[in-house]
Order: sequence, then C-alpha cells, then structure tokens
Amino acid sequence: MTANQSSNANEGPTVKHRHRVEGPEKHIVVFIFSIVLTAIAFAAVAAGGINTAFTIIILLVMAVLQVFVQMGYWMHLKDKGHLMPILFMIGGFFVASTCIVMALFWVWW
Amino acid sequence: MSHAEHVNGELPHEPEKATLEGRNKVLGFWLFLGGEAVLFGTLFATFLALRGQNNEGPTASELFSLPITAAATLILLVSSLTSVFAIQALHRHNIEKLKLWLIVTVALGLGFLGLEIYEFYEYIVHESFNMKTSAFSSAFYTLVGFHGAHVAFGVVWISLLIAQLYRKGLTVVTAPKVYVSAMYWHFIDVVWVFIFSVVYLLGKVG
Repeated sequence: MTANQSSNANEGPTVKHRHRVEGPEKHIVVFIFSIVLTAIAFAAVAAGGINTAFTIIILLVMAVLQVFVQMGYWMHLKDKGHLMPILFMIGGFFVASTCIVMALFWVWW
Repeated sequence: MSHAEHVNGELPHEPEKATLEGRNKVLGFWLFLGGEAVLFGTLFATFLALRGQNNEGPTASELFSLPITAAATLILLVSSLTSVFAIQALHRHNIEKLKLWLIVTVALGLGFLGLEIYEFYEYIVHESFNMKTSAFSSAFYTLVGFHGAHVAFGVVWISLLIAQLYRKGLTVVTAPKVYVSAMYWHFIDVVWVFIFSVVYLLGKVG
C-alpha cells in the first residue's frame, strides 16, 4: 500500500484525486429546499384566513421537514457511521418533546 | 505512526477524523448537542405553556413583525450554508477559502445579532414589553434570548478559530475544532427553525 502510494505520488495528480471530494450542488439543493419550506410556512401565516389548526399543522410539518433535511445533509447524519450521533439526537428530541407535551398537559388540562 | 499523517507529510483527506482525539471530539459534541436539544426543549415547553398569558401587556400578534423575522431567518439560513462551504474548503485543504467562508459566517452571525438587538430594543423601549411585563414576555425573552446568546457564543468561538487558523494553519489538531464549530452553527440554525415557526409564526396565528 505504502509503496503503491509513493509510486503514484511521482505520477502527479493521481494521489490527490483518489478521494472524491463532494461538490456544493446537493447543499445548494438543500438550501433552496429550506427556503421553499420556510416560504410556505410564512405564506400560510401571512395569507391568513386559513383554519388555525390547519396552519399549525403546516408550520410543524415544514419545520420538521427542514430540520430533517438540514441535519441529514448539513450535519451529515445520513452518512455512514453516524449511529451513535443519531441515537444521541433521538434521545435529546425524545426528552425535549416529552417536556413539551407534559408542560402543556399540566398547564392546560 | 498512525494514519494521522501521510507518508509524504500531507494532510489526510478528512483531517477532522484522522486522529482518535478528533473522532472523539466529534462524537462527544454530538452528545452535547443531544443535551442542548433537551435544554431548548424545556424552554420551548415553558414558552408554549405560557405564551397566552400576556397580563394585559402586548400579545404576540400585536408585537411580532413578519418581515424582521423573515430577514433574521434568511440571514441564519445563509450562514448555515456558508459554514457548509467552509467545511467543503476544509476537505479540499483550501485554507484561504476556509478562512473566507468562516469570516462570512461570522459576519452573518453578527448581522443576525444586530437584528435581534434592534428587535428587543423596539419591544422594550417602544412597546413597553420587557422581561417583567408578563409570563409570556419572560418566556419569550428567555427562549429567544438564550438562542441569541448561543449565536453570540458561536460568533466569538468561530472568530477565535479563524485567529488560530491564521496562527497555526490547518492541521489534524485545528481541523476537528473547525468541524465541531460548524456542527454547532448548524444546530443553532435548526433551533431557529423551531423558534420562527413556534414563537413568531404561531404567535401571529394566535
């Protein structure tokens, strides 16, 4: 392996191009997707006249979708070898949502 | 010698994951972000429980302005994208571009902070909406202010990392620090997605 590498190094760019470096394209797609989701959420509120419960559902769906895409691509959670980070985040979100549900339950029921 | 350094002294392909220390830093930071999710979850829980209790002070729909929220959202979203570009430059070992994108990220973070300070100033001075006005105001300032404090911390942290990149360059020691700070910055943007949805947009709906 070492001998192979050093012989490649003499041939010039082969070593440098052995690792494929990802381009910005998919991150720009994620960015545009996030902008669109955000615009839908703002438009649903700015337009008014939509049923409140339905607006809340739109807001939550847009927020969760955007968070999923950004954590998957920008924070690399969809890449291999991210089992523990995914478990940490699921654990964190589970406790966080339990807090929210319980606070609402105690205060308003 | 481990695979931390190439035989020809070149930086490895993904320098942030080349050493055990670097990998542990990233893993440990994920554990921290899980804890941060719980911390913000409790603040969201408090806010959602108290957001209707305006104690005859201003209500959310009277107070909030959609254009300012949209501007803040756009600034933070773009800064999240520029920190992705910074990490891509890191993976290409292009330290000049890395520093440039980190500087852009910090500048956008400062822009976001400026907008938030302006917003809070307007509320406190012109709308008489301060920390003690109502349960809603306390919950609002605690949640949104805590997020703003995270942005301020991120701005200072990334600025110090830029200074370190100028002094020490890109190595297997500095690369994990930059990578982890980019994770932190994305997480701040993720929290903001919930803040603009749950605090501002939901506040406008009523």
